[in-house]
Amino acid sequence: MVFILGVNFPERNLLKKSLQSFFGIGNDTSSRLLARFNIHPTCRVGELANKQVLDLTAVLSEMKIENDLRREVLNDIKRLKETGTYRGRRHALGLPVRGQRTRTQIKTPVKLNRMERRL
Amino acid sequence: MASPWCWSCLSPLRTPRAILPSSTTTTRITTAGFHSTAVQYAMPAKKNKNSITQLKYRQGQTLRRKKKKATENRARPPAIGERKAMRKRIVLSNPNALEVEGMQELSPETMIDNRLRGSVLGLPVTMLDQLRAVQAFKPRQGWNIFRRPGTVLRRDALELGQLFEKISGDDPAEKGKVVRKIITGPKGSGKTVHLLQAAAMGFLKNWVVITVPDAYELVSGTTSYSPIEGSNPPQYVQPNATSALLKRTVEANSKVLESLKVSQKHAGLENLKPTMTLKDLAQLGLGDAALSWPVFQALWAELTATSPAPGMENGFQSRPPTLVTVDGLSHWMTKTAYRAEDYSFVHPHDLVFVQHFLSLLKSDKPTLKNGGMLLYATSTSNNPSSYSLEVGLDQMIARQDGVSPTSPDYPAPEAYSNADPRVLELFKPTAASGKEGVLELQTLGGLTREETRGYLEYFAQSGLLRENINEKWVSERWSLSGGGIIGELEKLGRHVSAPAKLAQPTPDVE
Amino acid sequence: MARHAPNGIVQAMQLLRLQGTPYRRVIPSLRPTARFYATETEPQTPSTEALPEQTAEPQLEVRPAPEINFAKFQQRPARIVPASRAYFSGNPRFIDHVLNLEHLQQKYASLPQVPAGEAPRMAWFKLAQFRDFVGEAVPVKKYRSLLKLLQQLNRIEPGIAPQEVRTAISVFLRPGNPYAKEHTPREVDENGCARAKGKRKTSTAVVQLVEGEGEVLVNGRSIVDVFPRVDDREKALWALRSTERIDKYNVWVRVHGGGSTGQAEAITLAIGRALMLHEPGLKPVLRKAGAITVDARRVERKKPGHVKARKMPTWVKR
Repeated sequence: MVFILGVNFPERNLLKKSLQSFFGIGNDTSSRLLARFNIHPTCRVGELANKQVLDLTAVLSEMKIENDLRREVLNDIKRLKETGTYRGRRHALGLPVRGQRTRTQIKTPVKLNRMERRL
Repeated sequence: MASPWCWSCLSPLRTPRAILPSSTTTTRITTAGFHSTAVQYAMPAKKNKNSITQLKYRQGQTLRRKKKKATENRARPPAIGERKAMRKRIVLSNPNALEVEGMQELSPETMIDNRLRGSVLGLPVTMLDQLRAVQAFKPRQGWNIFRRPGTVLRRDALELGQLFEKISGDDPAEKGKVVRKIITGPKGSGKTVHLLQAAAMGFLKNWVVITVPDAYELVSGTTSYSPIEGSNPPQYVQPNATSALLKRTVEANSKVLESLKVSQKHAGLENLKPTMTLKDLAQLGLGDAALSWPVFQALWAELTATSPAPGMENGFQSRPPTLVTVDGLSHWMTKTAYRAEDYSFVHPHDLVFVQHFLSLLKSDKPTLKNGGMLLYATSTSNNPSSYSLEVGLDQMIARQDGVSPTSPDYPAPEAYSNADPRVLELFKPTAASGKEGVLELQTLGGLTREETRGYLEYFAQSGLLRENINEKWVSERWSLSGGGIIGELEKLGRHVSAPAKLAQPTPDVE
Repeated sequence: MARHAPNGIVQAMQLLRLQGTPYRRVIPSLRPTARFYATETEPQTPSTEALPEQTAEPQLEVRPAPEINFAKFQQRPARIVPASRAYFSGNPRFIDHVLNLEHLQQKYASLPQVPAGEAPRMAWFKLAQFRDFVGEAVPVKKYRSLLKLLQQLNRIEPGIAPQEVRTAISVFLRPGNPYAKEHTPREVDENGCARAKGKRKTSTAVVQLVEGEGEVLVNGRSIVDVFPRVDDREKALWALRSTERIDKYNVWVRVHGGGSTGQAEAITLAIGRALMLHEPGLKPVLRKAGAITVDARRVERKKPGHVKARKMPTWVKR
């Protein structure tokens, strides 16, 4: 088990996938992180040297991920609502925000778009 | 309230929303805001529930039945790595196959014997472990259908044997020569097995055999890499891959390496003693991956040394020739899956491991000072397209045909083709210096009819074929295999087919 | 045309009366010298009649009508008669042809005939061509009966067939008689190369077969490249394999269209045909081996209302 940013990852897991388990890190960000520390794309968590773990943790702690990012997103939605914008209203109504059609296929926004959006 | 009619054109005006009585709660809009049809069409009456057809929007009129649930497979999945192990497993013997009587073994004598051309020579059983160690066998080469592994002594193999004989022979003009070859050929023409034969002959002649069984592994991003500090442009070592190379080399060549002592001083490896053998030296790199690259460099320096460093003379033995084989060359001519720190792709020639082996192809500097052979084969089964390599190989063909590099007929990359200059640089002609031979291109083709016959007779003797092997039948197989392509012959040999004989027109029938 | 015209005697009387009226001067040159209407007595010569008329006019003398010459009197139909008796049928020109041919047939019925197989092969008009030729919508069945007549006339012994019959028949021949061309059998050319073509499904193969050592090139590539499956290769070279000639010939193939099976079997057929040019004696073997049997099946087209060529959508209540 290897600790990265306070999370315990099994050694057999792919490092790239493990990084992507953080909220705010996707395919591109994780690849760029790996490239930055010269870690090959199929590296397992267990293969990391101690220094690399520390480096990764240091960089990750600088980044706006997990709860910081969640809070920011929620604040953005809140700001939109409070300033009375159309986008804010759509968030509150649980409807698509970016001009999609509403005749069909709006299950995802109905499920997700709220004032207190689930992230 | 305003009139709902426009008095100028007598058309009904739309009622402004603002003056409509507003409902107190905002209801969810379930239908679209604009309709050209009445609401009743938008919300048709629900049909009877137990009807089998509840047609939805844009559904076909065909009968739909519920699919049966697939039965769950409750068997335990194979353990981690088990599937891969099965895939990569190499079986070299089949007890059901018949023992071929009178089968000769590959030996320093038989490998240059022209009389044996076309016969299948068994690989010495004692050598199999060495060959396995250098990963000369690949799965799906058909080793598992015979009692013991053997290879055909075809023309190319005989020529190879004669080269081995010359380089490690006594003739001072030929001894210690370096032969460089790039091996190409159509699919199934035996390029990898040619490398295997070279490795086997190398072992027979007590050479040091260093192999890269799959060039792809070094560029596919599956092994660790780290930049060399202070290198500009950045170069990368691959410690685990180098360590694996050392492991292969040590396992396969332990007898040779044990007999040789360290004779040079190496930077970065201070704790070396002159009493250590080269095997001990190589094993340093096995334990510590970080050390593997310096250790490999040290090993290489030892193998190419012609005389001991001052102060380390005791017990210096002259180094044997070296055989280097690489399979899947074109992977080293395209981009890698590795990324540099700025997220750009790493060029394969920036990997020092790759660069080391590619630099050996240049004949202007002495590389293998004790002689040896470099065989770099292309692959057709796992083959990235590399335009630059194609151009380079074309240039080599042109040079071998006697086209001067300055003539207009000499192949050049097309304008705007974006050919890789570093790859093209590799194939630029270099003069042969001393015993360094120039880079040659060898294209493997099919077997001749006699060789085909020998190969197929081996199948028959192993109990795989029931047919009468005669001239006609062999010719037929030869044509069917695209002119004696050995991989296709192997397919035909194990392919159980109905005999394709139809009666000749007999007089009484007509 | 069918206008009622007065009969001859009445007309003659009328004519006389008109001539007798003082109020009407008829300029002799304008007076009709010949009647348009069908029924009349033979007109008297105008010269003999007109001259006394002119001279007699001022005297207003009444003269009796000339005596009717019953010897010269001839009964003619009272209306215009069409040239052909079939004029009022639906397709008169066609019937004319039939009548003409029937007449000829009866006329020469006694001439000796050859069996149908030995008669010279003639390319009669196709129905559409014949319809254009006569300019009438001839029914299929009637045209068949005409063809039957033509064939019977054609069976008259060629040596003694009268010119009349021959010209009558030749009217009905298609331009450019296709049977007139002599079929030239294909042969091995001067370089020893036999060319042949084969088709299967949507593939077409053109093979050039020369004597050699059993090398095969398909579209300039090795056969292994083109047909990775052993079965396809065996199929493609089946004609040579079944006759055990695989090491005696070199094959050079151009094949296009379709998939690997179609291409392989098209090559089989083409090689079989080319091999027959080299060695015609192999035909029975090749036939028995199925190497020169054409498989003319093609994919059946999909029809509207069907899911595939024949499959109907599943029937659903409502």
